[in-house]
Amino acid sequence: MDQITPAMDYYLAEFTRVERNLPGADKIGEQRQDGLRAFTAHGFPTVREEDWKYTDLRPLSKHTFEISDQAAKLDADTLAACIPEALDAYRVVVVDGHFVADLSQLSGLPAGVHIGSFADYLNDNAKASIQHPLLDKQPGSLVAMNAAFVTDGVHVELQRNAVLDKPLHVITLASGSEDERMAQVRHRFELHENSQATIIEHYIGVGELAYFTNAVTEAVTHANAQLTRCRLQEESPRRGYHVSVLFAHQERDSRIYNHSFDLGGRLARIDTHTWLGGENTEIGLYGVFIGNDRQHIDNHTRVDHAIPHGTSREIFKGVLDGRSRGVFNGKIVIHQDAQKTDSEQSSDTLLLSKKAEIDAKPELEIYADDVIAAHGSTVGQLDEDAVHYLRSRGIDETGARAILTYSFARELVQMLNMEPLERYIESTLMTKLPGGELFANVV
Amino acid sequence: MLSIKNLHAEIEGAPILRGINLEVGAGETHAIMGPNGSGKSTLASILAGREDYDITAGSVTYQGKDLLELAADERACEGIFLGFQYPVEIPGVSNLYMLRAALNARRAYHGEPEINAMDFMQLINDKVAHVNMNMDMVKRGVNEGFSGGEKKRNEVFQMLVLEPTLAILDETDSGLDIDALRIVANGINTLRSPERATILVTHYKRLLEHAKPDYVHVLAHGQIVQSGGPELADELEEKGYTAIEAEQETA
Repeated sequence: MDQITPAMDYYLAEFTRVERNLPGADKIGEQRQDGLRAFTAHGFPTVREEDWKYTDLRPLSKHTFEISDQAAKLDADTLAACIPEALDAYRVVVVDGHFVADLSQLSGLPAGVHIGSFADYLNDNAKASIQHPLLDKQPGSLVAMNAAFVTDGVHVELQRNAVLDKPLHVITLASGSEDERMAQVRHRFELHENSQATIIEHYIGVGELAYFTNAVTEAVTHANAQLTRCRLQEESPRRGYHVSVLFAHQERDSRIYNHSFDLGGRLARIDTHTWLGGENTEIGLYGVFIGNDRQHIDNHTRVDHAIPHGTSREIFKGVLDGRSRGVFNGKIVIHQDAQKTDSEQSSDTLLLSKKAEIDAKPELEIYADDVIAAHGSTVGQLDEDAVHYLRSRGIDETGARAILTYSFARELVQMLNMEPLERYIESTLMTKLPGGELFANVV
Repeated sequence: MLSIKNLHAEIEGAPILRGINLEVGAGETHAIMGPNGSGKSTLASILAGREDYDITAGSVTYQGKDLLELAADERACEGIFLGFQYPVEIPGVSNLYMLRAALNARRAYHGEPEINAMDFMQLINDKVAHVNMNMDMVKRGVNEGFSGGEKKRNEVFQMLVLEPTLAILDETDSGLDIDALRIVANGINTLRSPERATILVTHYKRLLEHAKPDYVHVLAHGQIVQSGGPELADELEEKGYTAIEAEQETA
């Protein structure tokens, strides 16, 4: 802990510096203090903790990231590059931790749908709280750090029977300008009975300086509601530190389909905690991660089946090149009452270089006796016969490898069922593969 | 078009081809027959650019170029097509995607622009009927979940789309029922022209009844031991390979 104390001193001072400008009245202030205490008492997680065994945050904790008091100005081209062609969507833009109303596009929202800034929610609502009451246990010192420092994010609430007619595209962008900054953002999606929404959380870094994005997303789906969430991470592969946590609470008959694409980040850590708290709930967790050079991408998922007749489907696919490292830890807890649970988990990794590494671990805890819990994990290389086959048709070796690599992950892209977004992800993904840019638009 | 001279090849030190000589001219169809293990498939693989073999002697010239200097994809762009004995399944890469990428790779190699989407689909529609495949199959992953016969028909379909100058079909007729065999033979015949050549590597004579070769060669122990016209296939059918091999040994 010795090593970490100076860092905690720094963040205590930083909190004092910015405290007055953070959103929310006194009650929120107390919640922030709780978060600050929890964070500074524990410090940044270390590899001595089981959950952080493979992910060393020392490179992150050496920086002294600042809270930015405003969003940097963006030029039109920067933003335009983040928007998938032909994607018809509502849009929210959060820059350096601040909701930018000018860049957002929320006109014509259907009745019963509220989309606004999380800071406004904290400021304007007497009953506001940093943590949703149904998600009041949020473990992790970085989550506590977020609770202390949270500046903004998007707050989405759908009333009973409301349907968001187009996807909501939330761009969380790090400008990387002026100082080494941190964005402590919090998004909340609350879907009341029978409502339905598709939300794309899109993380991008564009500047030259190191930065830290620490995001917490809360999702609450009430009875028979359906949330499709796509988390698309394109942080800077050299300077972006990205931590993203999802806490989800599901009531009966509700569905959450969570699609995660980690295509960037010097270091990315993604935690997913989902609580299936009603009968006949369904969760789909799908993840693709692509690493190269010295990127480090760590996915930790936890699914809690608390009630009978829950279904969980989990598929993760990683592609690691260079000296990159991936971690997949998939925990599924089937509680004693959760009879008739049907759960499946798989993780497959393609290692494209000898120096790349994956630590994949399924972790099943089953306390009920009438359940299905299937899991599997594979690690492999490209099929050289398939490489030869494509070459014998005229495609050069790098192109053949790129096509086969992409085909490995393709199933999870197509599962999105949103063509403009699929095409955007496909071409972003292909351009990350050597030789792939030539084949990015073949389909 | 193709001139193979004294070709020797081995795999992990074991000699497989021991001095192959073969001349294939434009407009010709050659059949290479022979027992299992004679080196037929090795010869086909080497011509298509498989890198698992060591060429220890000899040369292969294709349209005036040293074929052995070209990578597999360059050979394909130069107009060589191999129909595989065991086509691989590539889930996630659709037949359409692969063919379009292949056509465009070929065009880029020759400095031509990419094929436009309309022309491409027109081409696919034209060819797909020849092999009795449907668009659902074409949109599926390459050979994904295809039966043995479907895989072979898919090889012929790809050949028709890519219109090679020199097609080498490695036991494309093995494991086919008579209907599928006719489809495969029909595909081969469709492509015949004075500018193209075909090499049919086969174990059975039946294909040659539907796709008549100009020349038949018998390969045994890594050498061509006998060459002749189509009537040689009949002789083989009658006597069997063992007789030919025996003749060769006593000669």
